[in-house]
Amino acid sequence: MKYLRLTITLFIIVLTACNPSANEVTVYSTVDQVFSGPILKDFERESGIRVNAVFDTEETKSTGVMNRLIAEKSNPQCDVFWSGDPVRNGVLKSNGITQPYQSGQTQLIPDHFKEKDNHWIGFSARARVLIYNKNLIASDSLPQSIFDFTKPRFKGEFAIANPLFGTTTFHIAAIFSELGDTKAKRWMNELKKNQVVIAASNGDVKKRVMNGELAFGLTDTDDAFEAKKESDEVEYIFLDQQEGGIGTLIMPNALSLINGSPHTDNGKKLMDYLLSRRTESKLAASCAQMPLIAGTEVPDNVPSLDKIKPMRIDYEQTADKLEEIQPWLKQWTEN
Amino acid sequence: MDGKLGKHIVRFVPLLLLFGLLGLPLLLLVFQWLTGANGAGLLSFINGDTFALIGNSLLISSTVAVLATFMGTVCGFWLYKFKLAYCGLYKLLLLLPLLISPYIFAVAWKDGFYWLFGNSSSIYSEYGVIMVHTFAFFPLAMLITGSALSRIHTGFEEAGLMVVSFRKTVLKIMLPLIRPALTISFLLILIFSLSDFSVPAFFGVRTFTAEIFTQFSALYNFSLATGQSILLLIVIFALMLIEAHYLSDAPFFSISEKGTNSKQYTVKRPFAAHLVLCMLLILVLLTPVFMLALQSLSGRVFFFAKAWELIRPASIQSLKLASAGALLVTLIGLWSAYVKERKKHRWPDFILLLTFIVPPTVLGIALIRYYNLPSLNFIYGTSMIILIAWLGKFGFIASRIIGNGIKQIPVSFEEAASVIGIRPIDRFFKISLPLLVPSIFTAFVLAFILCLGELGATMMVYPPGMELMPVKTFTIGANAPQALTSSMTLISLAITLLSITLFFILGKWVFKKYRYA
Repeated sequence: MKYLRLTITLFIIVLTACNPSANEVTVYSTVDQVFSGPILKDFERESGIRVNAVFDTEETKSTGVMNRLIAEKSNPQCDVFWSGDPVRNGVLKSNGITQPYQSGQTQLIPDHFKEKDNHWIGFSARARVLIYNKNLIASDSLPQSIFDFTKPRFKGEFAIANPLFGTTTFHIAAIFSELGDTKAKRWMNELKKNQVVIAASNGDVKKRVMNGELAFGLTDTDDAFEAKKESDEVEYIFLDQQEGGIGTLIMPNALSLINGSPHTDNGKKLMDYLLSRRTESKLAASCAQMPLIAGTEVPDNVPSLDKIKPMRIDYEQTADKLEEIQPWLKQWTEN
Repeated sequence: MDGKLGKHIVRFVPLLLLFGLLGLPLLLLVFQWLTGANGAGLLSFINGDTFALIGNSLLISSTVAVLATFMGTVCGFWLYKFKLAYCGLYKLLLLLPLLISPYIFAVAWKDGFYWLFGNSSSIYSEYGVIMVHTFAFFPLAMLITGSALSRIHTGFEEAGLMVVSFRKTVLKIMLPLIRPALTISFLLILIFSLSDFSVPAFFGVRTFTAEIFTQFSALYNFSLATGQSILLLIVIFALMLIEAHYLSDAPFFSISEKGTNSKQYTVKRPFAAHLVLCMLLILVLLTPVFMLALQSLSGRVFFFAKAWELIRPASIQSLKLASAGALLVTLIGLWSAYVKERKKHRWPDFILLLTFIVPPTVLGIALIRYYNLPSLNFIYGTSMIILIAWLGKFGFIASRIIGNGIKQIPVSFEEAASVIGIRPIDRFFKISLPLLVPSIFTAFVLAFILCLGELGATMMVYPPGMELMPVKTFTIGANAPQALTSSMTLISLAITLLSITLFFILGKWVFKKYRYA
């Protein structure tokens, strides 16, 4: 009897550590929790719908969320996928994991930032920028184009993040789309010859430039914005803005409604909330993301998309190009 | 007839349950891999480059395992066999590197190198991986070998000391007697090092596990990644078989009677011992912790209050769940070890071994594919799925630690009780269990530490909305100021340290109670 009581007590301890779920909307996000978390909390407070979120980590390079979504395909747990760029949504679309969604709110987003069948809808964008350490390089000596990176005077002085992961992959795929494979491969090989440092992530690029380990590197506007908050020695510029330049890559956040999601209606409500001016305004204030909806209020230090020369890319084609060049990029990184 | 049926039920029902919980998900994944890819593409990844990569990974991880086992054994020897002041404090402090994620360790060391030498390029190499893994995993060896050393029967050492020198007693008597502990700590560290992709990926070192991770995360090639994982599994499994057949199952390892004190020696030069231990502490703990503290104070804002606000809810949930996880892991480990050592039923241990050596991402995907059914949402949608993942990751460790303890209890104790008609259940609860308390306690504390810090499999299966300490530290850390991430890591470390201290206090009380059992 004593042992039976003990067993029951232990079983209860194990069970009470488990918490059953309630009425909710589930969102999987590859956007940094430090920025996406507060927005989701606001939605929870304003709508009364509980948000269950799964975030990703820099250590696992968004493996967790994407692999979960693919593995859960037969019985989806997620309602909305919030990605930091549209490439991942493209992968999910080609795996049959997303479903189209359109509403009055999605109409506000310019067509260029939406998938043609509305499998993903973009909002608040980041851009690729050059972040530099003012103590190590003068602003008038900076490269003005990504093609300047191959100049001998910058040898070993700069970094890009591992091109197999994150927004760097997307950037390289866009460059391949723009230049064509032969020219792009030549440029990448020249980068190698010029001793580019391959950092673990964009965050690592930011940190090395902030620490003064390297003079400059390529990263995203949100990383650059954070770096400026943390250090006076750091500044950033947009590349390829000159006459005839290819422009800089603009990467919108992308939302997808999951096919067969358990709380589709709540998912749609969350998507409409995220695609609003208010959310774009909040993201502009918290991490300098640039609104896509015209007329959205932004702080003074956030650049406007109208003033940046963007790379003219087709997001779907770029996603296809990315899949095509991944094996070559893997070889480039490893050799 | 009834008795036989009852015995079969007792034997097979828990085994089937364990197989259903952990074995089937892996079998299903292998089946899906075999049927999902066409025959030609199935083994296309097996080529010279793959074997070279496996060889390189094994070389790095074996070096880590040798160095960490050596360091751990030396520490275990000093702290468990010598009367040294502040011995308990050293034990506790030297255990701390196990509480820090190897990834955080890597970041801290990289910053440390830059801070000390003005250049961190030398750490971006195989040597960096070896250093970080060695410092991160050596406490495991210290705990296992130290625990084995403290259970050596005094008589063996005294007999040896009567005829040979102390050095020879160590080399010819003590080390051979703890050989199972040495081999298991070598293999556990080898597997931990092989399974970790975060440190090699951070330092840009190509290993086979990093390659599997790249296939999963960059190329989304599940089939290839699963195939590579199975190959890795076969390699590790072969190593474990060698260990099982030639080393830890050898019969002469039944060495001690419980309830007797192990011999402890007096240190001739305590100052030198303290100096070496302090230097070790500086190297493996204080440098990375100092770097974390420096980073946490480097921001323009003091982040500790914010870090505490963020980590507090996650820490309560984590502590609750890690306690439940450690309890589950220890109970299943105890059962698995007991039936293996006393009943010669090896299947539970085999299932736990399989799930232990599978890379965490693969285990996570296997669990998702198996449990993600509407009818099983009560498991998949709740933290029970995390407990199952942790059981899969750490059940084997508990089983081996407790198994080593069982080997040291003479069978004659239970046989004597049997002769006078004591029921098997009473023999277990009144004789074996009290004698196993130190091993069970070690297994529980280790399982608690490992559950609390586990990230790879947890990231794959944690229910939406749930906040756990390591997950939150890493998800917040993705783009938060370094000062905030470092503050969160330090707070997590303090919380874990406090919990372990409480466990040690509790353990002391339990040991006292059962000392003369």
